[in-house]
Amino acid sequence: MMRRVTLPSLLVATLAVSPLRRAVVTPAPSRTVEVSGLAYHPADLEVAQGDTIIWINRDIVPHTATSDISPRAIDTGTLAAGDSSRYVAGRAGVYRYTCTFHPTMQGRLVVRAAPTGAQKQS
Amino acid sequence: MPQRFAATAVAIALAVWSPSMLAAQAAPDLNDAEVADVVLTADNIDIDLARLAQTRSKNAEVLKFAGTMITDHSAVNAKATALAGKLGITPENSAVSQSLLAGARTARAALEPLQGTAFDEGYIAREVAFHQAVLDALDTLLIPTTSNAELKQLLVSVRPAIAAHLAHAQMLQRSLVAAK
Repeated sequence: MMRRVTLPSLLVATLAVSPLRRAVVTPAPSRTVEVSGLAYHPADLEVAQGDTIIWINRDIVPHTATSDISPRAIDTGTLAAGDSSRYVAGRAGVYRYTCTFHPTMQGRLVVRAAPTGAQKQS
Repeated sequence: MPQRFAATAVAIALAVWSPSMLAAQAAPDLNDAEVADVVLTADNIDIDLARLAQTRSKNAEVLKFAGTMITDHSAVNAKATALAGKLGITPENSAVSQSLLAGARTARAALEPLQGTAFDEGYIAREVAFHQAVLDALDTLLIPTTSNAELKQLLVSVRPAIAAHLAHAQMLQRSLVAAK
């Protein structure tokens, strides 16, 4: 019995042998910070420049993840229950952040400098 | 009966500023409907006092705290109300709810005539005591005595918010003292 060749499978086969394949860039990694129990999990996170960090609120009450110094590099705005916010790590450094509603919540993001010539594309 | 002793202590603590009101009161044994009512009552009391704070305080941090209390306790109330509806629980008044309300009336009466820094200090002191009492109530009475798993889980999930509110209020209390 002959297998029917569909357009998507042809496309996949073409891409598999095409020089274009080498141009496909692996997306920058993403890391998730769960906000639950009035805390960030993990509270301390190290990423590389270009990585994406996602804060997701699993609590009943609203939260933010907001840098505690101006200008605010990180500011998710208000995250209602179930909401999430993405942030692409920019300049290398240490960023401390808090929840503007619950100042006892503290988090820290360490952004490592990307190695020279190994800058990621997203 | 140990649980009865615990319930009495909690009921007294919940009055916060009026422990004598509970002196002759029988210790409560709470069913789930009464637990639900305690949750809603505690939330409404704190929302009510926060609204008073919004009309009296000029301190930006106190105003922000009051706003957070309204937002968070409203969110808990919405969740508790929805869960009670789903479980077919109709909240029932109890000695604990009554003691909460009596304590709230006393606290409000004491705060009403205050203005400026005196109000801020009184309000935040009340918030520290109230959240400590609610936290104790969750640990020693409400969570242990709740039989429905979903209602118990709601109480467990609310506990960190109450602890954070307490820590926030204590932080504000220290800053008000330092600003003197």
